[in-house]
Amino acid sequence: MSQGGSSEVLEFLREKIARIEADGSEGAGFARPAAPARISLGESLGENFSLDRVLQGGLTRGALYEIVAGRPGDGAAASGFALALAARFAAQNSKAGASIVWISEDFAGRENGLPYGPGLQLHGIDPARLVLVHALNAKESLWCMEEALRCKAVAAVIMDLWNAEKSYDLVASRRLVLAAQKSGTPGLLLAAGMAGKAASLSTAAKTRFEIFSGKGLQLASAGSRMPLPGLAAWSVRIAKARAGPEASGFDRDKVFAVFWDHEEACFRDAFSLALASHSRDRPGRPADARARSWQSA
Amino acid sequence: MRAHGPGKAPEAPLATLAKIKSAQRLVAVDRKAQALGLKPGMTLTDARARHPSLVTFDADARAEAETLSHIADWCRRFTPLAALDAPEGIILDVSGAAHLFGGETKLLTEIEAQLEAQGFHARAALAPTPEAAWALARFGTRQILPEDEKERRRVLGELPLAALRLDEKTIADLAQAGLRRIGDILLRPRAPIAARFGSTLHARLDALQGLTKSAISPRFEAPAYVAERRFLDCIMRREDIEATIASLAQDLALMLTRHGEGARRLEVNLFRVDGMVKHIETGTSRPLRDPQAIARLFRERIEAIGQTDETDPLDAGFGFDVIRLAALTVERKDQEQTGWDTSSCVNETADLAALIDRLGARLGLRRVTRLAFNDTHIPEFAVAAMPAAEGNRTSRAYHLQQPASNNFEANSNGVEKGLAQRPIRLLQHPEPIETIASVPDGPPLRFRWRRVMHEVTAIEGPERIAPEWWKNETALTRDYFRAEDSEGQRFWLFREGLFNRETARPRWFMHGFFA
Repeated sequence: MSQGGSSEVLEFLREKIARIEADGSEGAGFARPAAPARISLGESLGENFSLDRVLQGGLTRGALYEIVAGRPGDGAAASGFALALAARFAAQNSKAGASIVWISEDFAGRENGLPYGPGLQLHGIDPARLVLVHALNAKESLWCMEEALRCKAVAAVIMDLWNAEKSYDLVASRRLVLAAQKSGTPGLLLAAGMAGKAASLSTAAKTRFEIFSGKGLQLASAGSRMPLPGLAAWSVRIAKARAGPEASGFDRDKVFAVFWDHEEACFRDAFSLALASHSRDRPGRPADARARSWQSA
Repeated sequence: MRAHGPGKAPEAPLATLAKIKSAQRLVAVDRKAQALGLKPGMTLTDARARHPSLVTFDADARAEAETLSHIADWCRRFTPLAALDAPEGIILDVSGAAHLFGGETKLLTEIEAQLEAQGFHARAALAPTPEAAWALARFGTRQILPEDEKERRRVLGELPLAALRLDEKTIADLAQAGLRRIGDILLRPRAPIAARFGSTLHARLDALQGLTKSAISPRFEAPAYVAERRFLDCIMRREDIEATIASLAQDLALMLTRHGEGARRLEVNLFRVDGMVKHIETGTSRPLRDPQAIARLFRERIEAIGQTDETDPLDAGFGFDVIRLAALTVERKDQEQTGWDTSSCVNETADLAALIDRLGARLGLRRVTRLAFNDTHIPEFAVAAMPAAEGNRTSRAYHLQQPASNNFEANSNGVEKGLAQRPIRLLQHPEPIETIASVPDGPPLRFRWRRVMHEVTAIEGPERIAPEWWKNETALTRDYFRAEDSEGQRFWLFREGLFNRETARPRWFMHGFFA
């Protein structure tokens, strides 16, 4: 068999697996299943954001994503990234004002704090949309997550699980994936306490992001020698991608430096920061109005 | 009403003891001791002198009160309105309930017999007023106060004056005056007696006769709607109980629909045959009358109870013979259009409300919250987590403030406008950190938090938040800083106390984290 032939077979098998993954059935014939709508992470214009390119257009609803802290101190960065993803899902939800459910294990809340309303608002998430669930332990959190994922009226579900290793495994994650697929509600698992263990988890989640807090663009301060801290910025590594067109051929070691534009509620590549920040400086920018209308929606 | 010892009836006379008026006295005696002539109030020495075989225990007032409240709960199977009448009585309001048990006499017999079966000796009496019932149960020869006016006066007149619940001194004084029975004072002119013995006497007398009305204070409020099932054979399997609750929910839903109302607080009472009563309560975020949803909420509740007590979540024992579902609080609920447009917005909110109810039933409604803003600058109080089920949607938007910082020029540059000045995660309690700063009131150069040293590479601040002096005079001013360390992690720190003005050694705290 020639080289081209084997790649065709591989392509066929991959497609078949993708179909099984998608709806649990093998599907009849060669009819391609309709590609699920993608939620782009960058600006709605789309293709020019690095993560979107790697993820073949963005994230899909009805899937489970994992956000793992890269280093012990990166819990807050991972939370910010998870919230940003949730904001993207909420912004592109057809139902205006759909809620975001944040399930917090009590221990995670004590260790890393709880989501703070004013901060969320400045991060681009309307706090009035947030439903905060305080679960006693990991087992209870998983149950809540599954219940919430079954609900169609929710824009995104975030579960803040401190130690995912103990109770969150292939079976537990598979249950969540099935619930998410059925309702089309995206689930985000935030494992802030699993620093550096992104490779050790074996789960049914679609994509696993490993998050390092990144240096934002620091501005010189007028009064002191030290510069000002930057905007929300991360170094993102995609540790795992399961199924779908993006599953093959991504670079596991590539680190994407991205930052969050909380006014537009979208991600941007860090290298374009200077350009973006200068263009954001114009007076009477229509984007402000857009951001506001989104927040009040 | 007194309890036998556990197990078989003891042979020796029994009594409980307590120290009253600097002597060991009998508090309660069992039937055998009573037959031998022992009475409560007698000193232990007297009692022992008469009957050396007397067995005594220390009286445990708390345990007795607890037992009494258990009995009161058990009595709720006859009527929802059961009140405690410490130390030894229970008052039930059975208006309109007696016929369900085959009439008043049968009701009294059943109460006495069932309590006897549980090991309690009880005397029950029924009268139009709580006072008359109290008197009859303790001193009466008849159990039910007759309807006939003349007969009633005769029955009440035979009672001793102690039936008026007067203090011992008054009774002794009355006895000295030759007045021993209620009949003795019923026919006398009121003024001289009131002048000598006080007005309480006649107030009690009027209440006894039903001339003035008094109310009982039930242990639990009467629910708005109740549905119940009684079983000849007890049920104990969890599936059966859940099925019963589901069918009770159907009955309840009918009642609620007829009155155009929905339940906000629901309770299931499980009456065990041996007298224990189990309450399971749940709340909802919106008026609810869908029987399936109600049944599901209780399934979650039972599941949640099962998690804390793995062996037997309902603790069925020998089984339950009465199961009752009550709507404790109801609210008006208008008929909704259902089934036309399934994708409508109403359905979406209902979907979310159902989710909140389910989570609340399992975790407790207080654990499912929404954020509500308070009008304060103190960061930890600016937001409160309110139970989502309370449906309080009037949360104010947070006002973005520009901090008065020494870096104002950089801010006015425009690039930093709208910068996130509040962390996305806030610690529930600020944690003390060790800092090193070049000057006592300057920003930190490095700090140690949770044993890890962080090198500050970028800093912004201070944002000064003054204490609310009208609430707490001792609180100190806080200077908040946004700091970024060498790894790019961003923290929200504050210094508590103004150097040399409020304190000589300002302390530093970690309060939150930025993305």
